Amino acid sequence: MNYAVLCVPDFALCALRRSDPSLCGRAVALVSGEGRRARVTEVSPEAQGVAPGLASTLAMSRCPGIILRPRDPGAEAEAHRLLVAAAFTLAPRVESTSLGCCTVDLRGADRRRAEALMRLRAAELAGAGLPLRIGAGETPFLASYAARCAEPVLIVADTGGFLAPLPLSFADPTTEEEAILKGWGITTLGGLTALPKAEVARRMGTGGVLLWERAAGEATRVLRLAEPARSFAAEWAYEPPVESTEPLLFKLRRFAERIALELRGAGFVAEKLSLTLLLEDETDHRREFRLPEPGADVEGWLRVLGGHLATVRTQARVAGVRLVAAPARPPQRQEGLFDTGLRDPASFWENIARVAAIVGDDRVGTPVPCDTHRPDAFAMERPAESVEPPAGAPVHPPFGPTLRRFRPPWPVRVTLEAGAPARLEGGRLEGGVRATLGPWRGSGDWWKPGSWAVETWQVELSGGGVYQLALSGGDWRVEGMLD
Amino acid sequence: MPGPSQTVSALRSLLAARFPEKSRRAGGGVSAAVRAIDDALGGGLPAGRLTELVSAVPSGGGQTVLARLLASTQAARQRIALVDGSDGFAPGAVPDDMLRHLVWVRCRAPDEAFAAADILVRDGNYAVVVLDLRGCAERVLRRTPASTWYRLQRAAEGGSVAVLVQTQSPLVPAVPWRLVLDEPLSLASAGAPREDVAARLAVRAERSHAEATEALAG
Repeated sequence: MNYAVLCVPDFALCALRRSDPSLCGRAVALVSGEGRRARVTEVSPEAQGVAPGLASTLAMSRCPGIILRPRDPGAEAEAHRLLVAAAFTLAPRVESTSLGCCTVDLRGADRRRAEALMRLRAAELAGAGLPLRIGAGETPFLASYAARCAEPVLIVADTGGFLAPLPLSFADPTTEEEAILKGWGITTLGGLTALPKAEVARRMGTGGVLLWERAAGEATRVLRLAEPARSFAAEWAYEPPVESTEPLLFKLRRFAERIALELRGAGFVAEKLSLTLLLEDETDHRREFRLPEPGADVEGWLRVLGGHLATVRTQARVAGVRLVAAPARPPQRQEGLFDTGLRDPASFWENIARVAAIVGDDRVGTPVPCDTHRPDAFAMERPAESVEPPAGAPVHPPFGPTLRRFRPPWPVRVTLEAGAPARLEGGRLEGGVRATLGPWRGSGDWWKPGSWAVETWQVELSGGGVYQLALSGGDWRVEGMLD
Repeated sequence: MPGPSQTVSALRSLLAARFPEKSRRAGGGVSAAVRAIDDALGGGLPAGRLTELVSAVPSGGGQTVLARLLASTQAARQRIALVDGSDGFAPGAVPDDMLRHLVWVRCRAPDEAFAAADILVRDGNYAVVVLDLRGCAERVLRRTPASTWYRLQRAAEGGSVAVLVQTQSPLVPAVPWRLVLDEPLSLASAGAPREDVAARLAVRAERSHAEATEALAG
């Protein structure tokens, strides 16, 4: 499960219904075009007998009382921001794929936690008026196929079994490709991938290969990453202006749902809310609310805002509303006088797991030197949850510049004079030696396989730079730079 | 009629008043425990900002700065992450006690380092994230899109983490602070306590947001 796709079917219609409470539970259709040419593009389940593509006049005759509306770009933008905010709560690498669709890079995320979060987000967004579908799979394409079949969450474990019965249209074949494959009797993705890829390539060319890869769920792509929200604000203009608190509270609830998710996705909570009512006479009414406890609790915010709005009397109708949340880091845990533990343990361990998924489990952690004199011997351990105070002055305080290792060490030819390195040649380092320190000789494990013996020198080159050389088994290597 | 300098000064004052966040003074960050660096940055690595430390010469002292940073964060009981682009950190070169608050990410390539840094900078549990790109192939680093740096800067902004980017040549576009280590250490310093080695490091501020801030403050 590397990627997840979040999408909302009939997104434009859902966004419109979400922004206008009068459309809830009513037969609604979106139309494009004007006059007799107007066609239905999306339709609500309540509109019986109406389907996309139908002429608007025919829709009205088939479903008396149906409400026909054009698309609302403002409502769609607000709904899409909510969707993106939901995606950022799953993982930080998010692509805003298209209006009503996001792709999330889940690599490194804990599978069970990610699945629980996906189900939670789907339920939350359904409550916020966006019936979300989430699909997860090994590639972005596979995740998008899963999202189209999800009810509301589908995680593809058996790729072959999932893809086989899907219709060919999932892989977006061109009309010509679809006609050719139909002529061969192939109508499903499984039917196409049952053919040898090389034979498909020979008969259908590059397009056929790409189609085969999409059908097999193998095709992948680079995500165009989106930036998480940095300002947590929302604004709406009423047309016509409103006189009561209900439409204000309805819109504020929508704003709060989105802003709370954006804050959570960015790891913040709100410590202060700022409400501005823009009045018809071009004045405004502003009020700031310092929250009793910083948080991202929508109901708590609405109690504060609703309590205030119930007491507000304005000289003119309200033409617009603006809500701004001031972000703060969440007080995840009380720190004791001598305790410097993690501020957000869940985030810490989840991020360690994500980084481990990128670089490998054995390449992230806290280094602990091993009980040996063998050079560069250490183990990677799980980081500690709290930072202990210094244990006093070290017995052997560090001296000189600090070594930065070259892994693997650089092979080098060394010319000796009077038993000490005088010149380095070959490889990535060349030049005369100006000064030397050493040698330090060490050996160990001679009583078992894997014994080691090394002679170490520190040299300063004429051209500048201090390096550490090691002679082992007759071979010289540059172990690192003293930096 | 006011002269050009007065006009510029007035414009700076206006910008400082309109955008106080952008003209935030350095300090209040994490001490690097290297006097020249702390002085150049006005108190330490600034939180919520990127600082680039360029090791322009071999043995410029970049790793000594890192070792001192480990010591200072440990003394302050803060957590530090090292995203090591070329896997060059040597745990044996610092006392064991100074490793216990370190999360070390051993990367094989710059893209791994950028992806890991992107995650850790947003974490909120670290006081410092060091992105060490020394030793990475220069031509690969030069191909890093500006949007990657911009994304990292945006991730750090507003947070409490100080981000130190170690490079071999100036790399980070529009970085608020760029410090350059351009005098190599010699073998003669091998016998000196590390604190003294760090105290003798020569640091040149190539780009200093602090200077701009002072100018803005008039």
